[in-house]
Order: sequence, then C-alpha cells, then structure tokens
Amino acid sequence: MPHSTPDHVEAASTLAVIASSNEPLLFLDSDLRVIAASRSFCRTFQMQPETLPGTRISDLGNGEWAVPQLTSLLRATASGAAEIEAYELELTCEGHETRHLVLNAHKLDDGDADHIRLLLAISDVTLARSEARQKDDLVRQKAILLQEVQHRVANSLQIIASVLMHSARKVQSEEARGHLQSAHHRVMSIAAVQRQLAASELGQVVLAPYLVQLCDSLGASMIRDPRRLSIAVEVDDSLVDAKESLSLGLIVTELVINALKHAFPGHRKGRIVVGYRSEGPDWMLSVSDNGIGIPDGVDAPKPGLGTGIVDALAGQLNAKIRIVDTQPGTAICVESGCSSEIGRPVSVPA
Amino acid sequence: MTERAGVVLVVEDEVLIRMGAVDLVESAGFEAVEAKDADEAIRILEARSDIGLVFTDVDMPGTMDGLKLSRYIRERWPPVRLIVASGMAILDQSQLPEGARFFPKPYVEQSIVEAIRGMFTP
Repeated sequence: MPHSTPDHVEAASTLAVIASSNEPLLFLDSDLRVIAASRSFCRTFQMQPETLPGTRISDLGNGEWAVPQLTSLLRATASGAAEIEAYELELTCEGHETRHLVLNAHKLDDGDADHIRLLLAISDVTLARSEARQKDDLVRQKAILLQEVQHRVANSLQIIASVLMHSARKVQSEEARGHLQSAHHRVMSIAAVQRQLAASELGQVVLAPYLVQLCDSLGASMIRDPRRLSIAVEVDDSLVDAKESLSLGLIVTELVINALKHAFPGHRKGRIVVGYRSEGPDWMLSVSDNGIGIPDGVDAPKPGLGTGIVDALAGQLNAKIRIVDTQPGTAICVESGCSSEIGRPVSVPA
Repeated sequence: MTERAGVVLVVEDEVLIRMGAVDLVESAGFEAVEAKDADEAIRILEARSDIGLVFTDVDMPGTMDGLKLSRYIRERWPPVRLIVASGMAILDQSQLPEGARFFPKPYVEQSIVEAIRGMFTP
C-alpha cells in the first residue's frame, strides 16, 4: 500500500476525505512525512500525487518547504506543545513568483495516542493579497489625483484673481475699479468653498469655518481700519452640501460688500454680523449691520448687479429675502421658503 | 523716483500670476524683480545682494520646487525673508524653513502686502 507509514495503515475513508479536500491539505506523521495530500494541494503546488507519500515536508518540491521555523512549529504541534494558527509563510520557488501562504496545523485527535498525525491546511492568499494591494494603490492614486485637481483649480482661480486685481489697480475710473474688486471678491468666495471642499471628503461643507474664512478675506481686503469696522460670524454647526454652500457664500459676499460700501459713510464706526442657523429643513441666513439704514424715497439705491446676484441665488435656494429695519442699521434675511420665520435676525447694537 | 522700501524677488512660473504679483509688490511701494523658476531665482540672488525678500510659488518646473528653493535660500542667504504661496491646500508648516510664511492660493492680496511690510519692518 502506498498510503501508509511502515508501522501503521490509515483507513481508506480517511485518505479519501483528505484527497478530496477543497482547501490544500497535508496529512503528516510525527516525523513530518506525508501520509496523504489533497488533490487541491498537488494542483496548487504542481506536484505529482503519487510522489508525495513517505516524503518529508522539507524534501517536497525543490526543497522550498524546508523552512526551519515551519519545521519546528510542526514538531511543537506534534508534541502537543503548540498549534499553528494562521502562520504566514512566504514560499519562494525558483522560477515562480513568491507565494503568500497562511498555514493552520492541528494534531489529529482520534483517540489513537500511539500514532501521532498532523493535519496541515495551506491557504494560498497570494491573489487576495495582491488584489488588496491593488485596491490600496487605487485608493491612493485617487486621493493623489483629487489633490492634483484641487491644486489646479486653486491655481486657475489665482490666475483669475491676479488678473482682476491687476486690472483694478491699473484702471482709472473709480467705478470700474469697484466693479473689478467686486468680481475679485466673488472669485475669492468661490475659492473659499473649494478650500473647504478640499479638506472634507463627503462633498459637504461645515458652514462656520467657511464663512469665517470668507469674512476674514473680505475684511482683509476691504477694511482699512479694523478698529473702525469689523465683521463677526455667528453661525451654528450646520453642514451643507457643496452647491448650497457656494450660493450661501456668494450671497454673504454681496451683502457684506454692500454693507461695507453703504452702511458706514464718512468715518462712522460699525459692525457687521453674519448669522446662520438651521432647524431641520428650515434655515435662515442673515447679514446685519448697525449702519445708517437703507434710504428710501428718491434717495433709495438703484438695484445693481449685487442685488441681482442675491435675488437669483436666493431663488435657486427656494428662499425668501426679508429686509428688516433694525434701527440702527439693517438686517437682510434670506430664509428657506417653507419656514415660518425660525427666528429673528441677529441684531447689532449701536 | 521715490525711495523704495525694499527689493522683493517674485518667483512664479505662471506668467499672469507673476505679472499680477509684480504689480502688487510695486503698488505697495517695493521694488520687484521676477524669476520664472528656482534656477533663475538663484542666478538673480547670486548676481545681486539687495534682495530682501523672496515671494515664491511652490509647484514649478525646473530642478527645485518652491519648498526646496526656500530651504536652499534659508541655508545660503539666511537674512532673506521668505513668503511661500501654493494651491496645495494642505501644507505642513514644518516643511517650510523657520520664519517663512505660507499663504494658500488664491491669496488675499492685502494679506501678502501686510506680510511683506511686516517682514521689512525691523
């Protein structure tokens, strides 16, 4: 009989079970000689089934299984001192790429104490590991690509911003300069959303830091004397999607520019507060100032592009615009259409 | 000719941004010198000793990017002040030489002017 050790013959059924195992299996004696191997083992490691019985594990193939640590672990398992669980082995075979194996070995517990036998299961995880690595690489590549795109967007916005400000400094007409600077603020407002989006991963923007950054940038470029005029941001912890945040930011940009230009003539001191709060689907954005208020009658300002932009964006957000005379000053509230006023605008003390 | 407050070397590969930055520096009362990459910047620094500040982009073609350039300048010309701007939103301050200031692009021009003025003020 080929399937036997010199002093012991295994039951045919045992050998048949081993042979038919789907997971590569080796059935070993206490001397670490092969009693039987599964067909899957022979297929996976390209060995002839008839050559295996009686061969020591260290002599299998071209000796690639002669790994001292594996041998000592198998001996420890045979003596009952250890069990091999998920032991990782890199099998290097000449002319083949290195295979990643995960080994499990147990002493067979069939009540036959005189004949120690081991069952060694070998999983080839080479493919799974390389797929996992490829997936990691793809995720990393995607992150790099996204960073690259954000970098390009920022650079393109810088070109537009540079050209607009360059023109603003060169142009003679005070009115044209104002328009160019406003255009520049709109670009900077969009850039601030981009920067927040680059930092978030879900295409959502935390409104508070975004509006703080936006107002800092507006203040830095429009307020000559920070002791005279200031902008405060009082925004709750709302999270809004990218498109909505872009519209809200542009509305804030227009309203803040408008307040800075018109609410504080001469050397009047003043403060602007940008507020936002939401409750479920309802929200309210407000820009309040403690300036001179909006003149009416013949002195009423003609609506400009800024007003047009605010109206259009509010419409896109399905929001209503409400102008409140807060005496002193003015509050412009933009609120979700379904809301029945979720609160009063932040009013700014004189 | 008015007395210029200092000489600023603008290093930027994108011509429109460089034109804008040169004009910004000059409008703020400083003299501007321009370079399109790090190699040109180093040639200029070797040729003239009056450059007090380098305002550089990060992502540029050539042997060095703006980060390497700023570290090189800190090593070779320690008194030269450094301002670095980049479209890369996340830039670790530890990548910059000590004393250098970073601004994300697009930068607020007034903030750059204030930074330049602050660095030239002893």
